[in-house]
Amino acid sequence: MLQLVFLIPIIAGIAVFFLPVKIGRLAFIATALFHLFVTALEWFHVTEPLHSKYFSNTPEGMLVLAIMSFLFLFISIYTVFYMAEVEMTKEPIFNGSMLLFLGAMSMVAIADHIIMLWVAIEATTLMSAPLIFVHRSKASLEATWKYVLICSVGIALALLGCFFIIFSMETSDLHVPISFSSLNGVAAQLNHVWLKAGFIFIVIGYGTKMGLAPMHTWLPDAHSEAPSPASALLSGALLNCAFLGVYRCHQLMFNAGLGDYSSNVLIAFGLASMLVSAVFILNQTDYKRMLAYSSIENMGIIAVGIGIGGLAAFGAMLHMIHHSLVKSSLFLSAGNILLGYGTKSIDKTRGMLRLFPKTGITFFAGFAGISGFPPFGLFVSELLIILGAIKAGRYVVITIFIFSLILIFAGASRLVLQMVFSEPENDDKLVPERWTRALPPIILLLTSLALVIWLPDSLYQTIQNAISSIGGTVNG
Amino acid sequence: MIHISNILLALILLSVLLSLRSNRLMALVKLMAFQGVVVSAVPLVLETAHGVNFNLVMFFLLLVLVKGILIPGLMYRAVKWVVVDREVEPIIGYHASLFAGLIMIVFSVYVTNQLQLAMLPENHKLLLVAAITTMGAGLILLMARRKAITQVIGYLMMENGIYLIGTALAKQMHTQYVVEFAVLLDLLVAVLVMGIVLNDINHTFDDVDTALMGQLKD
Amino acid sequence: MDFTFSSVSFLSFLAAFALAPLFMGVILKVKAFFGGKQGPPWLIKYYTLIKLLRKGSVYSTSTTFVFKLGPIISFVTAFMLLLFFPFAGLSPVLSFHGDVVMLFYLLGLGRFFTVLAALDTASPFEGMGAAREVFFSALAEATIFVILALFFRLTGSLSFVEYFTGAQTVNLWSESAALILLVVIALFIVLLTENSRVPVDDPATHLELTMIHEVMILDHSGPDLALIEMGAFCKMLFYSAFISCLLFPFHTGTPFFNVIVFSLIMTLIYAGVGLVESITARYKMDMVPNFILTSFALVFFATILTMEFVQ
Repeated sequence: MLQLVFLIPIIAGIAVFFLPVKIGRLAFIATALFHLFVTALEWFHVTEPLHSKYFSNTPEGMLVLAIMSFLFLFISIYTVFYMAEVEMTKEPIFNGSMLLFLGAMSMVAIADHIIMLWVAIEATTLMSAPLIFVHRSKASLEATWKYVLICSVGIALALLGCFFIIFSMETSDLHVPISFSSLNGVAAQLNHVWLKAGFIFIVIGYGTKMGLAPMHTWLPDAHSEAPSPASALLSGALLNCAFLGVYRCHQLMFNAGLGDYSSNVLIAFGLASMLVSAVFILNQTDYKRMLAYSSIENMGIIAVGIGIGGLAAFGAMLHMIHHSLVKSSLFLSAGNILLGYGTKSIDKTRGMLRLFPKTGITFFAGFAGISGFPPFGLFVSELLIILGAIKAGRYVVITIFIFSLILIFAGASRLVLQMVFSEPENDDKLVPERWTRALPPIILLLTSLALVIWLPDSLYQTIQNAISSIGGTVNG
Repeated sequence: MIHISNILLALILLSVLLSLRSNRLMALVKLMAFQGVVVSAVPLVLETAHGVNFNLVMFFLLLVLVKGILIPGLMYRAVKWVVVDREVEPIIGYHASLFAGLIMIVFSVYVTNQLQLAMLPENHKLLLVAAITTMGAGLILLMARRKAITQVIGYLMMENGIYLIGTALAKQMHTQYVVEFAVLLDLLVAVLVMGIVLNDINHTFDDVDTALMGQLKD
Repeated sequence: MDFTFSSVSFLSFLAAFALAPLFMGVILKVKAFFGGKQGPPWLIKYYTLIKLLRKGSVYSTSTTFVFKLGPIISFVTAFMLLLFFPFAGLSPVLSFHGDVVMLFYLLGLGRFFTVLAALDTASPFEGMGAAREVFFSALAEATIFVILALFFRLTGSLSFVEYFTGAQTVNLWSESAALILLVVIALFIVLLTENSRVPVDDPATHLELTMIHEVMILDHSGPDLALIEMGAFCKMLFYSAFISCLLFPFHTGTPFFNVIVFSLIMTLIYAGVGLVESITARYKMDMVPNFILTSFALVFFATILTMEFVQ
């Protein structure tokens, strides 16, 4: 039963609202484990293949689902210990919303029907809203309001795009179910004008959710104001889901023979995101905002990679995996920093290495990873994208690409080095370090490292299958 | 012969234009309820040409329940809670908004004519005009007003417009009630979540003016 | 010009003229009903007119002949309106191609002289009222002329006779129903504006500063005031009849039935005005242009639609 991947978290989420805190925590982690188990069953196709009008098991969907499920397990463990430190009164609501959020995201990963995908993506917005304003401070309310309104409006535009795609089928007198799998079969006969219009609206809509510039304005606010476990989930899993929506439509465009058009659109948005984040990251004073802008940058990288296609598409998929792992790890470390210093300001979080050595090392390692240093995976994926672009002869694109990477690295390294290596102002620690909170980010980082050294064959095959539909190959 | 659908569309446009010049939040909520009911009736009227069936009527009732009663009801409660019940100093004035609405209408007629939708029935064209105008006016409200409640209403109006566009273009949409129901549920939950956030904003800021929220920027 | 001095049309004109004050009584009755009062008698407006006509007029020494001219011209222009209007689908006393344009300008002429008379008194209140009156009616005039443009698109003519008599009339039960619906709403707004009703103006107000129309005629008295009032009744009747003709097609073939239905609809419209006055408060002065512009927006939209779809 494929649907179990979203039904279980939703049912568990509703249950957690009403359970006592202690049992709720157990149920929270148990659900995360069980979700990973169901995902694994689906990944290896243990269960019967599914015949549903609305859902299907696709390689790219499984990829997103697997990352999400894996992340969620460690984030849930972290959440339980994090919440114990902050003593939040509304913990059941937070945990329940996390589970509902997981359910909505799982639904995105397996949705096949065009409108169902839309419904699921909109649901992710709504389910994650309570996560952001759980503190109810003025800033978090503002962030939530921006998030809900901007994303809802953006996603409403995506619905318009969906209607255009359906119409592109009806003008051509085709009558197939409006799911991606069946539309891909008749893609060549779809009306091109309407398909293009639909694609633009969908990129704007889901791109808002994915954090592509210039629709990214909600992202830094939401990511910086949400509690750290929620930020990690937003950055590591939600952005991938939105990307999946865009990617599905890109596939459809490719099959309809409009691949060049949609590629160029994706590259344009991708480069814009990279440049915007490069500009804004230079003078950040808040480390969570800095990480948020880095997410925008990485989403831009993925969009560019997919747009270029070929080898770069493989790079983009790898990038998605590694970015999720490393960025979640970074946000979890940021949560530890916030607990230890009680502030999000970069200037006031000095001397991490001396005060909080474990967090300091994880944070710095994460930073090295996100900037694309070997031996972390982002080095490989960015290299593949650059190679793919050179192969495809996109020299202008790759010049801007490398330029923004350098700019971002220069901007962020100044801030991170100061945070990690400088002398602390004083030796006050609000909350001491604990292994329970330091381990999840470390494990996520180590996973990223492990995947560089040994890429499991089934993962390799899944990525291959996912990108073959847009003409991406490793050897091409 | 009278097209009932045309009258419905005229009523929708009426509600759109009235909401662009209204400064009272309560009046806006009432207009939204009215618009919700009329928008729900449009597919019913369009489809009855092919005979009424039970599902269609049931779905119409469901739409009216959600768009005409539940969502305006939630908004009504939100307005009851807030301190200031009218829009003060909109970002774009009422006259300018009204004229923007008119320009929107001209624009949507132009767009509809450019699309060369020969295959659509004649009254679907007017539907498309009304739909695009409603959507555009919703966007205008979103951008031109500062009260959070008005922005939600702008969003709802935009959603209504998109729904109408879907009615005009995507016939298959109306044969799949599961999907349409899911979309409706999403809308309802969206308004619910916005309502909760609104309530908290009202508590914390003593107002629902979005101009008060400006801490987060780079 | 078409002088069809048929007895029926002459009778209909006379009846309309004679009944105009009676319909005003409907508004008062409706308002009284909502106020939980018995209200004045139905014929109150006749009594008022008779009372005024029996009085003498008082003229300020600082006024000129313009002041005396104002009421007469405003009455005559309103009176002329009725000559051209096909009540209940009966052919009017006078008509020619393009008469609608002339009629609305006649109304403008009447307003112009009322304003001149007001300015002639040199009272600051009256100047203020005149400025408001001119501003609001200029806005309403935009609506009126867009409506005429719309009707021209629909029928290709500019005459009330061609709009409302014969088999092919402009009304709510024709193919362009959606457009007419918008026109009806816009016309109702214009009716409220032009006749100084709530929510644009409050005829019952007692404070000069908040008045629009009333303040302009403060200095008129006796028969002059009666003429102005009578002119106002005619004007109100004209607009209501205009809306009634849009609401129902009076070509059922039996004139008697038409007249009954017409009177019923007229009563309903007057009652509607009374209803609006009972349940709404008048707008703040700066909201009034907004209100009138809405009517403009509606008919503007309707006209755009005719340009494209009803070809």
